[in-house]
Amino acid sequence: MGLLATVRLARLLTGGGLFFLGWMFASTIAAAPIMDFVPPAAGSYKLQRIQPATDGAILDADGKRRRLSEFTQGRVTLLAFMYSSCADPNGCPYALTVMHMLKNELEKLPETRHRVRFVSLSFDPVRDTPQVLALYGGVHNGTGQHLAWDFLTTRSRRELLPILDGFGQDVGVDMDKTSGKPVGTYSHVLKVFLIDRQRMVREIYTTDYLLAPMVLNDIKTLLMEDGVRLK
Amino acid sequence: MKNTMQVKIPAGKIALTVAAFVALAGTPAFADETSCSPYTPLIKGQEDLVYVWTLGVKGVGDGSDKLVTVDVNPKSKTYGKVIHKLSLGGRGEVHHAGLSDDRRYLWGGALDSNKIYIFDIGTNPAKPKLTRTITDFVQKTGFVGPHSFYAMPGRMLITPLSNNKDHGGETGIVVYNNKGDYVSHEQMPKTNGGDGYGYDVGINPQKNVFLTSSFTGWNNYMMDLGKMVKDPEAMKHFGNTSVMWDMKTMKPLKVFQTPGAPLEVRWSWKSGDNWAVSTTALTSKIWVYKQDAKGEWQAKDVATIGDPAKIPLPVDISITADGRGMWINTFMDGTARYWDMSDPMKPKEIFTKKIGSQVNMVSQSYDGKRVYFTSSLLGNWDKKGKDDEQFLKAYNWDGKDLKLAFEIDFFKEKLGRAHHMKFQARDLSTLKPLDMASNLPAMLAQTQ
Repeated sequence: MGLLATVRLARLLTGGGLFFLGWMFASTIAAAPIMDFVPPAAGSYKLQRIQPATDGAILDADGKRRRLSEFTQGRVTLLAFMYSSCADPNGCPYALTVMHMLKNELEKLPETRHRVRFVSLSFDPVRDTPQVLALYGGVHNGTGQHLAWDFLTTRSRRELLPILDGFGQDVGVDMDKTSGKPVGTYSHVLKVFLIDRQRMVREIYTTDYLLAPMVLNDIKTLLMEDGVRLK
Repeated sequence: MKNTMQVKIPAGKIALTVAAFVALAGTPAFADETSCSPYTPLIKGQEDLVYVWTLGVKGVGDGSDKLVTVDVNPKSKTYGKVIHKLSLGGRGEVHHAGLSDDRRYLWGGALDSNKIYIFDIGTNPAKPKLTRTITDFVQKTGFVGPHSFYAMPGRMLITPLSNNKDHGGETGIVVYNNKGDYVSHEQMPKTNGGDGYGYDVGINPQKNVFLTSSFTGWNNYMMDLGKMVKDPEAMKHFGNTSVMWDMKTMKPLKVFQTPGAPLEVRWSWKSGDNWAVSTTALTSKIWVYKQDAKGEWQAKDVATIGDPAKIPLPVDISITADGRGMWINTFMDGTARYWDMSDPMKPKEIFTKKIGSQVNMVSQSYDGKRVYFTSSLLGNWDKKGKDDEQFLKAYNWDGKDLKLAFEIDFFKEKLGRAHHMKFQARDLSTLKPLDMASNLPAMLAQTQ
């Protein structure tokens, strides 16, 4: 990525503030999927009804025990599984960058206010405690803003696994080859789930398919399906 | 580099993989690797296993269709041997198989029974386990003969060959989610030149398109080949079209006239390339689908394979990782043909080798150095008598010659007819995603 593009992305991610955070994200994205097409216009197509969104027990940013379904209904929801120490440039950091881009775009549309939610749910219940995720989410964390963005974790792997299985999200705990001990990273196919207000998964994005302009139009398409008029 | 071995605990428990950090940067390169979907992680090193989707034959072993697992890692003690076979307990004309978007599951279809089998190949890749059999395909779609299985994110795109109204060639495309539940289906186009027929599919995510080809219906593919070719009415019922689709909307963009049953579809994944290729079974042509200067998709007949008058019957094809070469098998003369595709509009045949009395499928490793062949086309189309050889043959390819590494006689081993092949690694943490060239500036421009 060229310098100008990096600067532009950094500004986009942060809306002009916290430029260095944006620069970090922009620099992380050494490669993004090629998108050599103009995405179909929002509302000009129907998204498939792929599968019901799985429910399960989670911990919110305050450490309160809640149900995931509280965060996947009532609004158009973009849910990504992630972990805060992920260093795979085509994994969690890429998803986070795309979500920041989308957030910035959605906040320009008054009609989307309080109608869209992002959820980042951690793979790592050991290290990604509610406190860690509260720091990780920073100013973006919370439901009171134009776009709600909740950073969630689980109490244990036992409670996380049924959620992963339900969504069809693979994950592997990376182990040191010599010692046989976890090295703190996870192997997984990046998957981001677009969920409608009725908790039905309507689109699933992997790295090659997670293209911000297309996701934006998909979100708009679901909002338009709900009768929201977008200019 | 990923310094790994893998321990995986199956679904319901957490998976453990042994891995170091992944360095994904590198030259954009894409592989055929047995025609994987671009959404399926790839084996870019040595493949450990080859699954052979095998048709049962009455009187051969237990007579049932089966998934046969072969060890193909030269460093293994069981190299070149069948290490596992999973019998399905019946015959249904199994044909093609496809890998899921995380390569932990293999979907295999049966053209006559219309069953779809989902195997867990992630928990223990050397011992696949049947986890689900889909039996509602006809009921949900009205289509018959689930053929290609092509991963999309979180779901499987399936192309059937026929329908349950007249068992002819009109059909469609189908989507199931990764759990094996029906999601949607669409008819193949019958307007704007479309004949409604279908066969294979290939996705180009960079262009938001997929290409489908066309073959023939149940009435023909279940008929004896010798009888069919002498039946003028039957020979009228072959597909003559290919269709470019919008992947997001799942709607046809353009129908191409490609007479003579265009079969396998492959995209060149070389960065900057914008073309796909197919070959026609009955007319022995290579077709290239490419965007013109205005961005419109065009199809062009670019070469002839063998002597069409002798009907060599081009069947499977396998494009190299860099899109610069392609294997084409011709079934009737049992020959593998290597084509130089450096200029896809002017391809040249530069090497041929007879593999057996008949040859159908061809799969090459990511680096193109290992090439695998199997023999069976369809249960009723395979040759008769001594020419009905059934095998898996593995060759090493040095760019000049194919040298036999090992072969397995599928009749001698009491297995059946060897058809579709898919590779697998024993350690799934070694899988690599497709490398992507950066196009972030363009993406940013489109969000503004």
